[in-house]
Amino acid sequence: MAPGGVVGDGRYRLLAQLGIDQRAGAHFWRARDGQLRRDVALTLLVGDPADAEAARAARRTLERAAHAAQFNHPAVARVLDVLSLGSGISAGEGLLGIVVSEWSKGTDLIDVIADGPVTPAAACRMLEQLVDAVEQAHNHGLVLGIDHPQRIRVGPDGVLRLAFAGPMPQATLRHDVRALGALLYLLLTARWPLPGGPGIMQPAPQGPNGRVVPPRSINAWVPQELSALATHTLADGGEGGIRTSAAFLRVLRQAAEVAERDELIQSGQLPPDSHQDPDGGIWTTQRPTNDPARRRKVALGATLLVVAAVAIIAWVGLSLISFFETDDGATGPEVNVAESSGKRGQKDKKDKEKQVAAAAVTPSQVQVYNPEGTGDSVDRAPKAIDGDPSTLWKTDVYKQQLPALKSGVGLSVSFDKPIDLAKVVIHRATKGSKVEVRVADNPNPFLDDARVVVKETEVSGDKVELTLAKPTKTSHVIVWITKLGGDEGAFATSIGELKFFPAAQP
Amino acid sequence: MLPRISAASQTGFLRSVDAGPETGLIAAVEKEPSLARSTGKIAIASLTSRITGFLWKIMLVWVVGIGVVNDSFNVANTLPNIVYELLLGGVLASVVVPLLVRAQDDPDGGEAYTQRLLTMALTLLGGATVVAVLAAPWFTALYVDSSTNQANPELTTAFAYLLLPQILFYGIFALLMAILNAKQIFGPPAWAPVVNNLVVIATILVFAMVPGEISLDPVRMGDIKLLVLGVGVTLGIVAQAAMLVPPLLRTGFRPKWNWGIDHRMREFGGLALWIVAYVAISQIGYMVTTRVLTAGDAGGMTAYYNAWLLFQLPYGVIGVSLLTAIMPRMSRAAADGNIKKLISDLSYASRITTVALLPIAAVMTVVGSSIGVALFSLGRGGAGDGAERLGEALGIGAFGLLPYALVMLQLRVFYAMKDARTPTLIMLVMTVVKVPLLYLCPVLLESHQIVLGAMLVNSLTFLVGAVLGQMWLWVRLGNLRSKRVLGVILFTSFASIIGALAAFGAGWLIPDWLPVTLTAWLKLFVQSAVGFGVTLGVLALLKVDELKPITTRLNALRSKVLKK
Repeated sequence: MAPGGVVGDGRYRLLAQLGIDQRAGAHFWRARDGQLRRDVALTLLVGDPADAEAARAARRTLERAAHAAQFNHPAVARVLDVLSLGSGISAGEGLLGIVVSEWSKGTDLIDVIADGPVTPAAACRMLEQLVDAVEQAHNHGLVLGIDHPQRIRVGPDGVLRLAFAGPMPQATLRHDVRALGALLYLLLTARWPLPGGPGIMQPAPQGPNGRVVPPRSINAWVPQELSALATHTLADGGEGGIRTSAAFLRVLRQAAEVAERDELIQSGQLPPDSHQDPDGGIWTTQRPTNDPARRRKVALGATLLVVAAVAIIAWVGLSLISFFETDDGATGPEVNVAESSGKRGQKDKKDKEKQVAAAAVTPSQVQVYNPEGTGDSVDRAPKAIDGDPSTLWKTDVYKQQLPALKSGVGLSVSFDKPIDLAKVVIHRATKGSKVEVRVADNPNPFLDDARVVVKETEVSGDKVELTLAKPTKTSHVIVWITKLGGDEGAFATSIGELKFFPAAQP
Repeated sequence: MLPRISAASQTGFLRSVDAGPETGLIAAVEKEPSLARSTGKIAIASLTSRITGFLWKIMLVWVVGIGVVNDSFNVANTLPNIVYELLLGGVLASVVVPLLVRAQDDPDGGEAYTQRLLTMALTLLGGATVVAVLAAPWFTALYVDSSTNQANPELTTAFAYLLLPQILFYGIFALLMAILNAKQIFGPPAWAPVVNNLVVIATILVFAMVPGEISLDPVRMGDIKLLVLGVGVTLGIVAQAAMLVPPLLRTGFRPKWNWGIDHRMREFGGLALWIVAYVAISQIGYMVTTRVLTAGDAGGMTAYYNAWLLFQLPYGVIGVSLLTAIMPRMSRAAADGNIKKLISDLSYASRITTVALLPIAAVMTVVGSSIGVALFSLGRGGAGDGAERLGEALGIGAFGLLPYALVMLQLRVFYAMKDARTPTLIMLVMTVVKVPLLYLCPVLLESHQIVLGAMLVNSLTFLVGAVLGQMWLWVRLGNLRSKRVLGVILFTSFASIIGALAAFGAGWLIPDWLPVTLTAWLKLFVQSAVGFGVTLGVLALLKVDELKPITTRLNALRSKVLKK
């Protein structure tokens, strides 16, 4: 047989040989139908008619091809005629049979692969129609016989097509499915994984277990799904093996979706979320990856950030509270002025006070002296003798000035040992307040029993000294407020600190 | 402060309905259809118990004022809750209840399991109660900082002796409720806390009528007032537990001592451990809070505690009723591993919570001090500026309302995913933030302002919690559509701020020569009306989608309540 020769009783002129399936002795030719003047694809079954075994095998192949003549699918070239010895083939031709199929335009698969493997997405696209064809054929009980790469051509639409019909006599449905896996493998790696492939094609390397290695280990860019699909389909049985075209199609479609998306991302048509950084710089326009480990790191960092931010907010917030609250109506504006001015000059004043305070005697006890009522910050009385003028004791807020509700209110202090009281110093009393100093026998006497030692005096200001006319020995001193500070409707007096000085010892 | 505990300390009921679902109870129970039907009734009972529970807190302020006595009582009254929660609360919700539900399929209908459970729990709780009562002074030392002479630890201890026996009855109530819920009986457990509140209200009335004063120095256990208050409040919890005995007997259950540990309990060991750790960590935060407050001004604890209750109220009433429908769906989605649905539900729930609670928080910020004065300045509450400070604390903390609600939401998602570890770790971070900030308060603030600082810190802690929760949910689940949530938060904040400004302006219209309380009530109503009106108007103008379900749900709720 050579190009230009004729077969099939001279009807078909051979144009070019496109391949040969050694296993079945099938030669694939492009030929010209001399009668209908069209190109056809011929599968020539070459063999010695005297060999009964070969003749029977050829007959079987032809029968199967004849069945396939009823099958119609875009991915399968239609079988036009089946010629056997004695009916269309003369004995001298050296042929056992011819399967005539319509000619599939396009390229040989081998030529496509010769440039190297195709992308995963392209492989899926190319294969999908053919898988569907296998599925359809299997539903009709037909075996297509696609288990040889040279039987397949790539159409102008880029879709694989079974161009040369005529399945092997012993081929089963399972062989078709395996062949799908093999084709996928071929597309992804440019190597043919099944035995009996064409010599010009590199066979797939085998692993130590005798099986072909997964496509992924040949080409790392092959997606795991596709790689697994190919190996699982090729594997004869075993766990996770894929045995039906329906299963193959299902997995292929899933993998195709992923592969397609990846391809679009790589071509820049979709926002990438791959691990690669195409920008290659420190700044990247990519969205952060969705990998949990990475997210955990981000979250840990953000946790620290939030904690720090909240700590700052809290500091600011607390300072604001302390700022605004002293400005509140309840405390009175005077106190505010006194307090802020007090805070400004606090440091050097404290130093000075220490020198004077060396002589001051600290009372052992203090309580609110309130013979005619209750209230007036009983709990905060100790703030008046705590040594810190910035902490206040404060009366309640009165709607009316003393002595409308009661004649007065005061602080009563007691000393462990009687002191020779000479001077009382009042720090930071509310502006407008007036006090008397009285001494008594016990911390809670009747008002009339407490002797006045300093007459009513205005005590506004940071520091007011009240000196006794004559030092008086006593254990109990009462600072008695007779007039409250503050404004109309909100009278109150606060006292920062009380200090008691004894007469200087000779 | 720990949401679970504080919710629980309001009434026993809140813990069971509110906090229970956070810890797997809902996962186990809510698939039963009857729960959906009884949710409406439970919501009414919940509302009633919240209102009555809050009423007695206010009455207590009217009767004893905002001062050392109320502080001591509040600290002492939280102690039994704390002990109970540490011993049993978390374990009960996470382990025992799911097992109870499963045990219903036992051949004996779970009777033996229930008996064993009751035997073990009662022994444990009984022992714990005795030990706790003996250790009362030690508890006081732990929770009250008396170094500044502002607190009265003796009085706290005296109250603690009278109140700590509640531990046993809290435990009995919680167990019986769990058993009844497992048997699909929801009514009596929901109403029992109302009984408790009524008993306490009666106690307070008696307290007001008996003569004398609670003497502070020295504290005398024999004081009639002290005894009335302590014993009466404990009796309330006893009544609450006793309420559940007849319904339990009616189910045919026969109590019997039955020793032994059910092997099924071990399966949940790990989960329970993390939950106990959660409770323990949050207790540290609470302990520091009470110490800082008791070391500050007298009355601070009371102000903080009541402000906190007020703060929770909007979430309890509106938040929970909005989320009742969506919570079971989220749990189911988590159980099915349907992350997409879980995320979309979470996002939706966050958004409607935002639209519902942010305007309230904004208005609360403005009317806070009016609320305090309006509610608390009757009777002895009027003395000093305690009521006003309480209100200011509420106003300052109000911004934490949304973070608080979000934290509760996230907790449920975590627990629904059977992840008890992450919430505990988040609580750990929250506490680590909270404790130093709390100790910063007395440094930066005057003693009477400490309560304001504490409330601010508390709300900030929830802000930390909400951000962390969102972040770690993102780690677990991937994209949470937080952008959309943030968008709604921004829009709602904008509307709320305008509303708050309007409300603030409306405050000028109220004459201030009226009696203080009347002014406060007037301000409360006028400013709230203006604030909400303006906020809703702006939200409607901004066309915030999430507004719609809220209006429809509120309408539905209103018509439902009216029908009842």
